[in-house]
Amino acid sequence: MLELKGLESYYGESRVVNGVDLSVADGNIVCLIGRNGVGKSTLLKSIMGLVRSKGTISFDGQEIMKMPTYNRTRLGIGYVPQGREIFPQMTVQENLELGMRAIHGKAKLPDYIYELFPVLPKFAKRKGGDLSGGQQQQLAIARALACEPRLLILDEPTEGIQPSIIQDIGVAIRRINAEKGVTVLMVEQYLEFVLDISQYLYVMEKGEIVLEGETAKLDVDKIQRIMTE
Amino acid sequence: MQQVIGVLFNGLSLSSILLLTAVGLAITFGLMKVINMAHGEFIMMGAYTTFVVQQLFLSFAPGAFDLSYLVALVAAFAFTFLFGCVLEKLVISRLYGRVVDSLLATAGISIILQQAARSIFGERGVNVTAPSWLSGGISLGGVTFSYNRLFIIMLAVLSLVLVVLIMRKTKFGLQMRAVMQNRDMARCMGINSRRIDMLTFGIGSGLAGLAGCSVALLGSVDSTVGQLYIVDSFMAVVLGGVGNLVGTVFGSSIIGFSSIGIETGLSSADIAKCLVLLIIIVFLQFKPQGLFAGRTRQLDE
Repeated sequence: MLELKGLESYYGESRVVNGVDLSVADGNIVCLIGRNGVGKSTLLKSIMGLVRSKGTISFDGQEIMKMPTYNRTRLGIGYVPQGREIFPQMTVQENLELGMRAIHGKAKLPDYIYELFPVLPKFAKRKGGDLSGGQQQQLAIARALACEPRLLILDEPTEGIQPSIIQDIGVAIRRINAEKGVTVLMVEQYLEFVLDISQYLYVMEKGEIVLEGETAKLDVDKIQRIMTE
Repeated sequence: MQQVIGVLFNGLSLSSILLLTAVGLAITFGLMKVINMAHGEFIMMGAYTTFVVQQLFLSFAPGAFDLSYLVALVAAFAFTFLFGCVLEKLVISRLYGRVVDSLLATAGISIILQQAARSIFGERGVNVTAPSWLSGGISLGGVTFSYNRLFIIMLAVLSLVLVVLIMRKTKFGLQMRAVMQNRDMARCMGINSRRIDMLTFGIGSGLAGLAGCSVALLGSVDSTVGQLYIVDSFMAVVLGGVGNLVGTVFGSSIIGFSSIGIETGLSSADIAKCLVLLIIIVFLQFKPQGLFAGRTRQLDE
């Protein structure tokens, strides 16, 4: 579904991602892990077209490297950024409607989204910025889903969130994947969560992929060593 | 008493013109962070558009002359809106995030536009004739409220209400707020940010065109008419707090009322201007972010 070849990404003038090949198969949950500052978030931003990059990115066989961000979303890539980045001065409702109205011209949210995140309808009229971190994270995922993506990209969805909500978010991601057939690419630091949820795993070091494979077959100790050394 | 009411009324009408100009600036400067030095020239273009529309009516439909001003309002907005869109597309959009460059570029455009106006319409000012329904006024308790000033106040209030409605109630407004709050994320929501930027800038410019229409009612129009108001309008935006509509309303009012007030008290427009500037400079020393310094720069908060 998603295929990166020789991807190089730049943060300002410095190159942060040095020629990464990565592919996400249709229907999978794929995780990308690595320590802070190895270029994981920048890689995701390249897929969305938010940073300068070289190489090829193909989505469903279509080359999207030169495509503007908003058209990538329209093709079916949903993005949940690190730190959530919800629109703080807009109501929860407005946050959710933005994408649907821009892409599909309608404002009726698919019912399953409220079912996945029952806390959201209760806060529909509140400002997004007034929600707690966990609620904001749920809102950010719901907001991306409202764009009806086929590929959902998540950047550290568990960062700074209390354990009970991490579980909720894990359940939600699994259900989106299993019931809605949405493919998932996720950057994460929380190893236990990753091992539990992903089918395929990439490990990144200094802008390069140093280890990859089916999660079940990978050597957990080795991953732990890379993550902590 | 009569004099006080007269001063208040004149202050209100000056505030309204400043407000019309400043709302446009609050959008382009406050929201988009573009210092558009040519904003004053949009006022001039609106004023000249009014003149041209009136001339066309005189030539082709003198019987319907009273309608000319209404047509001119629409034409002035449309013309400056389109011109703003083109300017954004060709120049401003290439200079986002480069404040000094866009300031220089728009200053250059300002000079070009002024010279173009001189070449087309000549050095001498031209006069716009107020339609019959705007001449005269009502006298209440010995004070005359002229219709054209009343009309300007109404126009400013109406424009302000429209802008707020567009921002709050329409799909475009929602997308505009999204782009201004977080450009990258708005694009990730499928919003064509380039288009929104262009239209937002166009609306800011169109409002200046409307201001030009009202300025044309008050005096003769020449190539520098925009310069008369632009400095005060920038001050109104900064004084009120950049990117804040309520602040812009207060900023415009403070500058409008105090200019007229001091001018009447000292019977000198120049000294009045100096004093107002001085007060603002001192004020900004203590509150550099303006009256309504928001936690976030949000036009509709």
